[in-house]
Amino acid sequence: MREDFSSCCLFSNKVASTQRGLTTRFTLKRDQGQILWLGANTWLFMKTFLLYFTGQQYHYLYKMLGLGMCISRASASVLNLNCSLVLLPMCRSLLTFVRGTHAVSSRETRRLLDKSKTFHVACGVSICIFSVVHVSAHLVNVVNFSVSYSDDFPALNLARYKGEDPKLIILTTIPGVTGLFLVLILFLMFTSSSYCVRLFNYEIFWYTHNLFIVFYIILMVHMVGGALKYQTNIEAHPPGCLTANQSSTSQRREDEERRCGEEAHFQPHYPQTWLWVSGPLCLYCAERFYRYIRSSDPVTIVTVIRHPCDVVELRMLKKNFKARPGQYVVLNCPGVSSFENHPFTLTTCPTEKKETFGIHLRVVGDWTERFTQMLLPQPRMDLEILPMVQQRRYPKLYIDGPFGSPSEEVFNYDVSVCVAGGIGVTPFACVLHALLDGWTGFRLQRLYFVWVCRELQSFYWFSELLCALHHKLWQENRPDYFNLKLYVSQKDNLQSMSEEKYRPLTSRLLVGRPRWKLLFDEIGKTNKHKRVGVFCCGPKGISKTLHKLCNSARSSGTTFEFNKESFG
Amino acid sequence: MGKIEWAMWANEQALASGLILLTGGIVGVAGQFRGWQFAAYAIAAGVFVCLLEYPRSKRAKGTSVERTGQYCFTVCVKSFGPLTRNYYVRAFLHAAICVPGGFMLATVLGCVCLGIASIIYLAAAIRGEHWEPIVPRKDTVRPPPADIKNPPQNPPPRPPPETRRKRVEDLEGAAYDNPIPVKD
Repeated sequence: MREDFSSCCLFSNKVASTQRGLTTRFTLKRDQGQILWLGANTWLFMKTFLLYFTGQQYHYLYKMLGLGMCISRASASVLNLNCSLVLLPMCRSLLTFVRGTHAVSSRETRRLLDKSKTFHVACGVSICIFSVVHVSAHLVNVVNFSVSYSDDFPALNLARYKGEDPKLIILTTIPGVTGLFLVLILFLMFTSSSYCVRLFNYEIFWYTHNLFIVFYIILMVHMVGGALKYQTNIEAHPPGCLTANQSSTSQRREDEERRCGEEAHFQPHYPQTWLWVSGPLCLYCAERFYRYIRSSDPVTIVTVIRHPCDVVELRMLKKNFKARPGQYVVLNCPGVSSFENHPFTLTTCPTEKKETFGIHLRVVGDWTERFTQMLLPQPRMDLEILPMVQQRRYPKLYIDGPFGSPSEEVFNYDVSVCVAGGIGVTPFACVLHALLDGWTGFRLQRLYFVWVCRELQSFYWFSELLCALHHKLWQENRPDYFNLKLYVSQKDNLQSMSEEKYRPLTSRLLVGRPRWKLLFDEIGKTNKHKRVGVFCCGPKGISKTLHKLCNSARSSGTTFEFNKESFG
Repeated sequence: MGKIEWAMWANEQALASGLILLTGGIVGVAGQFRGWQFAAYAIAAGVFVCLLEYPRSKRAKGTSVERTGQYCFTVCVKSFGPLTRNYYVRAFLHAAICVPGGFMLATVLGCVCLGIASIIYLAAAIRGEHWEPIVPRKDTVRPPPADIKNPPQNPPPRPPPETRRKRVEDLEGAAYDNPIPVKD
């Protein structure tokens, strides 16, 4: 995600390499969405700055406060924009719905949806940066309010007397106090959103981030009390005109023209933030409410299956649950932890024939450990006593979702390459199930499936599925549809998959890490001049390598489009 | 649920506060505002806090992610021994450092943020956390087994095949019968 945000060239370079006569085209394109967002921010900043810099109604205020006023108001308008936009990418159900409609067929719109979390982070970071600018400018303003206390226009002052301590001004006005609280909440939210805290102490991140509602409520009352005022009667009192008891050194005739009609009248601005923010805030609250209602029905757990390498499959049933391959759900088990929610990709979707859906979860942290302990009976040391068949009382489980992910697009390419690392195979397992049900209905004509695991035992998670799909396609005379490549990356302690029925897997199994460039060259040669969709769900290293490979052009004319799956 | 490490969050906050103090101090000194001596103090305090907080602590359980180039800072901070290991000391130190920042407008924000960080450090210290340096892992070369020259002459004794049940090795699998078989 960082690489996309920090690439900043808007043009494409054609660099011809003389070796082997290949041309390598380096294109560093920015999303249209990013350009639009940057442009909107810049335009808003400049427009507000110029309004306050040159506007006649702010003439006297500018004379008192200087540039600080213009910068603070310009950054405030950018903050308004970003505070309203930051909520939109988090409306996950809405985005899932938009993804499912056919209105989203262009790649640019899909990429915007895929990068929703990046956009949220970008808006958040810009809120922090512009808050710093806004606070600094307002601190300078407060000092100027105190130092340049205006006796000519007493209505314009925020300080009560000349030389009032700026800290006192901040603590006794509504904008000052609310501003202080806003900065503190923003500080808490920002420091808990760092990568490490999110990875290791997700609860801190989640609970502090939910302070956003307090932030928005305070934000909407931040402008109450009107610190900055504008002049309402410009025609009667043109700024810079001379009052009755003033005289200038120029001639009398000019004096007459420049006399003021009346005293300057000032009025504070009405708070505008609510105009920007209330729409997205209502949308987000409606979305949370809808998700709460939707997930209030607990699921029925149908079966629990153990798999090797610490993986447990859970098959569930829920009324009116519909999902597409590649989507994920969020699990909440009050018996384990009331407030923790964990996302898991669906490995089987409900169909007309079969209503159960399933997830595969790997036991990695303490939530999954506790959850699997509640689902499975404990291993007993004394094996003379056979385990009794007992009525399993499964814990109550709630799911929220399904939510969309980029892997839903596998079916919309002619040729797709799915690369999975370890447990990252789960979105593609759902895709394979859908193909097993009926592969003729999709646009997809060829699927390359590369699965890299550390241990051989991991392949047992979906060995039945892979073999079944392989056999079905061979029976129906499309052997080139499904191209499977399995890799075992750990070279020591190799076991073997000796069962006869898994021959299609063992004959496609290679030891060692895959060589991506050769793989892509091979795929490029067999699919000339086609648009190939590349989907990767696995470790960051593989994802980065594949992204780089996709961006380098090929002599075969094949274009690889990288669709990134992001976790968390 | 699970062990929340408050110290990690307090560390991020303290580092950010150090930067805010530093920035506020620079602004205060550059503008030569009233009370600029406090701003000069804030610069020094900000630098000190950043240096102290830059090296991340090792997590009690699990993998730790270092900040880039933190090893030299780790060595410096480690050399102070129990003063830097203990989070009570850090909490009170930050509380004491932040107070002079409150006297000048430019550094007020840094003062408040560092105060919050010191409260969180206090909470972490009460929960018994402490700072552990992250040292780079040295891969120990495993010595070769002592006697590999003479392989055994006879096969190990085994019971007859009928009584040899494979499920004895798979203790966890023996306890639970999968409703749908995964492998033979």
